[in-house]
Amino acid sequence: MADIKKYGFVIDPRRCIDCRACLVACRAEWNTPPGQTRIWVHTDGPQGIFPAVTQTWVPVQCHHCEDPWCVDACPTGATFKREDGLVLIDEEACIGCGLCVNACPYQVRFRNEVTGKADKCNACFHRVDRGELPACVATCIGGARLFGDFNDPESPVSRAIKDQVVYRPITPEVDTGPMTYYLSPPDASAVQVSPQPRKDLPAEVFWRKWAIPIVKVAVGATFLGQAGAFILQLLRGENEYEDGAV
Amino acid sequence: MSDETLTLEQRKRLQEQVLVKHHLANILTHWFNVAMWLLLLPTGIGILLEKTYPASSTAWNDLMRQIFGSTASLIYWHGVWGQIWIAVLTFNIFVGFRKYFLTFASTRMLLDKDDLRWLMIKPWHMLGLRKHVPLPPQDAYNAGQKLYSYLVVIGSFWIGLTGMIMVYSEHIPTSWQWVIQWAMPIHFLSAGITFAGVIIHVYMGAIFPEERQAFFSMFTGKVNGLYAYLHHRKWYLRKMAEKAAWEAEYRRRYREPAQAEAPQASTAPGTASADAPAGD
Amino acid sequence: MSDQPTERVPRLNRRKFLQAAGLAGTGVAIVGSGVGDIRRAEAGGSVGHLPGSYADKIVPTLCEMCVWRCGVRAKVIDGVIEKLEGNPDHPHSEGYLCARGQAGLMMTYDEDRVLEPLMRVGERGSGRFRKVSWDEALDYVADKMLKIKENFGPEAMVFSSTHNLSQPLFENLLYGYGSPNYGTQRSLCFNAMVTAHLLTYGIEEPARRYEGMNYIILTGRNLFGGISTSETRALMQRIAEGAHVVYLDPRFSETAAKAAEWLPIKPGTDSAFILALIHVMIRDELYDKWFVSQYTVGFDELAEGVQDYTPAWAARITEIPEATIYRIAHEFAENRPNAFAHPGWRTSNFINSFHTERAIAILNALQGLCPQQGDCMFLSEASVELGKPPQPGYPPIRAARLDGVPWKYKFVPPKLGVFQELRDAILSGEPYQAHGWFIARQNPMMSLPERQKTRAAFQKLGLVVVMDIIMNDSAWYADVVLPEASYLERYDPLHPVGRRVFLRQPVIEPRGQSRSALWIYKQLGERLGLGDYFQYEDEEDYLRQQLKPWTERLGITLDQLKQTGYFEVPDGYEGPTYRWDTPSGKVELASETLRNAGYDAIPRWYDPPEPGENEFYLLTGKVGQHTQFATQNNAYLHEVRPTNQLWMHPSKAAERGIANGDRVRVTSPAGSVEIEVWLTEGIRPDCVYLTPGFGHESRGLRKAFGRGAADSDLHLTFTDPISGGQALTQTFVTVEKV
Repeated sequence: MADIKKYGFVIDPRRCIDCRACLVACRAEWNTPPGQTRIWVHTDGPQGIFPAVTQTWVPVQCHHCEDPWCVDACPTGATFKREDGLVLIDEEACIGCGLCVNACPYQVRFRNEVTGKADKCNACFHRVDRGELPACVATCIGGARLFGDFNDPESPVSRAIKDQVVYRPITPEVDTGPMTYYLSPPDASAVQVSPQPRKDLPAEVFWRKWAIPIVKVAVGATFLGQAGAFILQLLRGENEYEDGAV
Repeated sequence: MSDETLTLEQRKRLQEQVLVKHHLANILTHWFNVAMWLLLLPTGIGILLEKTYPASSTAWNDLMRQIFGSTASLIYWHGVWGQIWIAVLTFNIFVGFRKYFLTFASTRMLLDKDDLRWLMIKPWHMLGLRKHVPLPPQDAYNAGQKLYSYLVVIGSFWIGLTGMIMVYSEHIPTSWQWVIQWAMPIHFLSAGITFAGVIIHVYMGAIFPEERQAFFSMFTGKVNGLYAYLHHRKWYLRKMAEKAAWEAEYRRRYREPAQAEAPQASTAPGTASADAPAGD
Repeated sequence: MSDQPTERVPRLNRRKFLQAAGLAGTGVAIVGSGVGDIRRAEAGGSVGHLPGSYADKIVPTLCEMCVWRCGVRAKVIDGVIEKLEGNPDHPHSEGYLCARGQAGLMMTYDEDRVLEPLMRVGERGSGRFRKVSWDEALDYVADKMLKIKENFGPEAMVFSSTHNLSQPLFENLLYGYGSPNYGTQRSLCFNAMVTAHLLTYGIEEPARRYEGMNYIILTGRNLFGGISTSETRALMQRIAEGAHVVYLDPRFSETAAKAAEWLPIKPGTDSAFILALIHVMIRDELYDKWFVSQYTVGFDELAEGVQDYTPAWAARITEIPEATIYRIAHEFAENRPNAFAHPGWRTSNFINSFHTERAIAILNALQGLCPQQGDCMFLSEASVELGKPPQPGYPPIRAARLDGVPWKYKFVPPKLGVFQELRDAILSGEPYQAHGWFIARQNPMMSLPERQKTRAAFQKLGLVVVMDIIMNDSAWYADVVLPEASYLERYDPLHPVGRRVFLRQPVIEPRGQSRSALWIYKQLGERLGLGDYFQYEDEEDYLRQQLKPWTERLGITLDQLKQTGYFEVPDGYEGPTYRWDTPSGKVELASETLRNAGYDAIPRWYDPPEPGENEFYLLTGKVGQHTQFATQNNAYLHEVRPTNQLWMHPSKAAERGIANGDRVRVTSPAGSVEIEVWLTEGIRPDCVYLTPGFGHESRGLRKAFGRGAADSDLHLTFTDPISGGQALTQTFVTVEKV
């Protein structure tokens, strides 16, 4: 346990051939319900005018951010960041409220239609813990998806970004420290992986702006009031005969 | 509380009287509620992370998780206890709807003119002011207790409803996810405000000297006549009238001579047993 | 069978998760069990439901989602296949699986699996069947087949099946029965490639090697859409390392997106492009003179023959600039020996595709890619020889083949055949009338052009038997459907790859009444009196007989093989050596064989037909998520590629008032379909493209039914006279807004 791991992804869109083996591998590994997916291969139709056409596919998954907004939004700690950097969901502690889904600037979270719980890429932590690669990375034919420990200079991810121009999907407004490094410069496809600024849901606003202050004031006031009355009572003393208590 | 209209002799006689205020069911329900609040409140505050919603403390969050082993089992037990709490209360309401709940509702939640006046005077008294203004006579529960009943009934309803929503959230379709999202702050708000009421309730019931009889009655079910006469005069008089009517009926049936007992005669009608509690 | 799970368990309970995670009993995640870690998931606790990678057992086997046959490691939990992984021991998978391979388990767990033998009770195509026992189904089929043989001769039965490991037993059934009529799908696929390379090198399927290659010409070989795992990986690796890929395709495919150069060549003109490269290489003396002089014949004739095929000439035809062609020829030669032209795979495009393939074969020969016979990059590594059960010779065949091989298609090997020609013969009754069709693992109703013609041919037959795992479109029209076990539920004959021999074995027991092909062919064979061709007790006995030489030499047993999935013969084993199996024993730049048959000895340019004013070329191709017509009902693949769309260039769409996503009617002389349009700059304006495999009309495929449109409703039947290949791009269509 000498060294702490720092897991993350390196994505090389130049090597993605849109074969979608990753999508199927993920689905098979996790049995994601039809119509939902934990990972994506984003595509913008070919750019340019015939015959000067280009096209890039951009694999996307949870970035396991260093400063994950989803973790901040979870009221119970059902979603949390592990010491090695992986952002996980304890399904049994999750009540499926979806605040984390709303909080994620990358829209990589969703509510699983079958379990009713928050769901997203967990980097196949159970495989990683056994020294294997996440299912998507393990079967990436093009070699576009890489995963590993950034603290280890010999890991595939560290080697892949060494001396490379890397692109992190952040904006001046939104920087959650995504642990995905893209190896090709942002193009039109990158729009789809750019983070969105946070917009709190009405219930969250109500909670923070109203519910908590109201409760704090109410409990505080009654407590202080009763404490005052108690002090008065002590100062005044009791009359066991008067009060009919005996 | 003193009442100059009573002679010392009357006070002593009243003190010797014993009136039944609470049924065993009532007492048990009360302490069940207490137990559940003692389980649910600390765990509830423990679930809600301070760093996300600053209404708790991280130390408490961690302590609760240490005790229960994990966030999931903390939530699990909070949900289990909550459901037991809801189930027992619901069972009580449905089983004893006519006998207990309607009586409860009528004796504890209907406010009359005296109650409103009481509400205007009592706060001053508690601050030691305007002691010269007498409080209007109260029934089995005073207006403050009645108000507290509203808080408890409405608060419990929302706590229970939102709690059930969260426990069974996985069955709520995603298009109705806002229901879960709103359930959380409403749960918190309801519990918090009800808890504010509980603070008053605990002080008034357990610490405030004038109500000490009420505190003991939550164990024995009984209060003495002096306390009843001074604090719940309407109830006392009604009970006495009921008792007198019952005794009259008894004597008529077994041809025994009449003998007045109550300090003040009452013509209050009623055929109910004098032992019948005032309400739930 | 009642205890068999019929569906994948959608969510396993905690207890199982903990057991699988090795946490049961540790109390880490047991609810309320006491003090534990707050983040019990750190210890691998219950986060999400049980993932497939927690396996009770891992079974090595072989994939059959396409014909590449990757090695698979199947992970099983409680008798349910939960996850498939690529087997690193297998050179075709190298530890990887494509989308189809990953989705293979849903083939086994397809809710539309045929799990009992079925016999038709309604009209053909009504889809009304009754479930019958194997005995009833096999007795019925055998009885009918024996009657056909008795009344019309064995040739009145047509047999068709596709590239698979149990093919030798299928051939025993067909040739033992005595029919010459053997249909494969190869004429819809690579007939041109195979015949051209047979006639040039005497090699059926040239091997490809990417190691060190710096310059690769791909003539429509969309390796990133038509995926062959190890080859696709190899190409991507070379591209990432800077190899220059020239990719010819009228459509901007996945490979076009990764190639250094995409040349949207005019359809049907690839041979002009290659011929011009040959012209430049000879004219500018860029070719490998030593190799040509040592190992080829007919160079002078070739040199003379390509004199007129200048880059300027090719530029007019191909619409690729003259300078580009010239440059590519030079770059190609300069990069020798690290440059090659891919021979292609599905080369059934135009009736001149044979010439294209011949030109590619010759272009590579000029590169000197085979410095010596033993080191030719096109030669596969010799594979291990195996034993087999004894069997008698086949009875002599007297009748001619209905598909015209070889009396009409002289150079087409019988095991390839000319599939699309069968139906005309069935419909016309010439040269004789067929009466029955036995189809194994094939879907001619979807794969053959002119679906209506296939349907009519079916109606003319007295017996149609389909063996498959799902109710495919052909099974929908069949009299008897025989449920085969999926590839994860059965044994197949061993598969040698180089010095390794791989085993396909059942990962789980077959679902329902489904059975392996080895069992079905034997059962049917015995009922037909062909028991001598099936001398094995059961599947394992067959495999033991195959293994026998290696059991004797190396002590390899089947039980060992089941554990390891393969065995490797040690160095020093000499398999049969390949050689240039041509009449001259050399690479034939000019082919006397062709000349003698009345064809051109060297490749020549033939103008393909062109579409009319308002017409488009109808292109076909592949996607990486489906294999032909068999996988569209696979739940996982359906998820990532549910349907097809008609690719169209925006300029042509605008002329017709068509917007992206509109529904359009596509019409050819063969028929018409309605489909959603996708407008893209990634296609030549004179072309439209439709991914094949969709437009299923079997209601027995609930996910795939009615999704998209089938190009087999549009394709006309055109056969390349030399290779017998169906010209799939030679159909022209009109497109109008619905």
